[in-house]
Amino acid sequence: MKNIYFIILSVIVFIYIVYEVRKKKFSIKESFWWIVAAMIMIVLSVFPYSIDKFAEFLNIDYPPSLLFILCIIFLLFITFRNSKQISEQQQKIIELAQEIAILIEKNK
Amino acid sequence: MEKVLIVIPAYNEAENIEKVLKELKKDASFADILVINDCSTDNTEEIVKKNGVKCITGVFNLRYAWAIQTGIKYAYQNDYDYVIQFDADGQHIAKEAAKLFDVAKKGNYDIIIGSRYLKDMGYPCPFFRRLGTKLFEKMVYLFCKEKIVDPLSGFQCLNKKVIKRYSKMGNYPEFPDANLVIEMLRSGYKIKEVPVKMRLREAGESMHGGIVKPIKYMINMVYTIVFIIIQNPRRKNKEDL
Repeated sequence: MKNIYFIILSVIVFIYIVYEVRKKKFSIKESFWWIVAAMIMIVLSVFPYSIDKFAEFLNIDYPPSLLFILCIIFLLFITFRNSKQISEQQQKIIELAQEIAILIEKNK
Repeated sequence: MEKVLIVIPAYNEAENIEKVLKELKKDASFADILVINDCSTDNTEEIVKKNGVKCITGVFNLRYAWAIQTGIKYAYQNDYDYVIQFDADGQHIAKEAAKLFDVAKKGNYDIIIGSRYLKDMGYPCPFFRRLGTKLFEKMVYLFCKEKIVDPLSGFQCLNKKVIKRYSKMGNYPEFPDANLVIEMLRSGYKIKEVPVKMRLREAGESMHGGIVKPIKYMINMVYTIVFIIIQNPRRKNKEDL
C-alpha cells in the first residue's frame, strides 16, 4: 500500500470541506464542486491505475499528463467562476451603495 | 387582534396581479398585503400601486426566495404576528389563505403549508414535478419521521417565531423546498399541512420548466439535504428552543 499517504491526504481534504460546511463557514452551494473534486481525489488514490486506464481510453501516451490537464481544467473552472461572481457582486455593491446614498439624502 | 401580512413575491406578473389583489382584498380582508416586486421589467409596480397596495421594489433582482425573505424581514421589523406567503400568478385562492390562518391561529403549529396533493384536489401536475415531490416526501419521512407531501408549496402561513428565524441572514435558502422543511423539523419547529385547492396558471411562465433544469434542481436539492442532515445531526425538541 504505497498510496496510503495519498488516501489519507484526500480523505483529510474531504473531511475538511465537510467540516467547514458543517460549521456554516462555507455555503452548501459553493461546496459542491470542491466535494466532487475531493471525491475524485479519493477514487484516484484508492485506484491509482484507473488514471492509466482512462488515459489509454483517451489515447494519451503519458498518463500523468492527463492528471495535470484535469487539475488545470478544474482550477480554471473554479477561478473563472470566482471572477464571474466577483464582477456580479461588484455591480451589486455599487448599485446598493448608490441606492443607500440616495435614501440617506431623502431622509435628511 | 393579530397582525397578519400577506407577502406576494412578483416578477413580471402584470397580467395576473390585479385579479389576485382584488380577490385578496375581498376574501382576506383580515390581513395587510405587501407585494415584493422583484425588479419586474413590465408595469407590475404601477398596477400594484394603482390598487393601493404597498409595494417594495428591490434594487436588483433577488429571485423568488430572497424576495420572500425581504417580505419576512419587513414583517419582523414591523412586528407582524403572522406571514402568509402567496403567489402572484393567480394559482392560490384567497379564501384558502383564511383557512391557513385559522389553523395557524390555534397555535399548535409554527408553519402551516397549503398542500395540493394531500387530498385529490383535482390539480394536474407535470411528471417530473410529481417524481421530485415523491422523492422529497420520502426524504422528509426518512430524516424527520413526518409526512409532508408538498414542501415546495409557496402557499404557507408562518408564525412569529418562524418569522424571526427566517428574517436573519443565512436562514432562508435560495430554493426553499424539502431542505428547509427538514431543517425546520430538525430544529424542533412544528409543521402542519392543510389541503387546499389551487388553480392552474393563467398567464406567464413557471419557474420550474424544461428538462435539464429540473434534473439539476433535483441533484442540487439532494446534495443540500445531505448537508442539512450533517449540519443538524440530531432532532431537537421544541423545549430546547
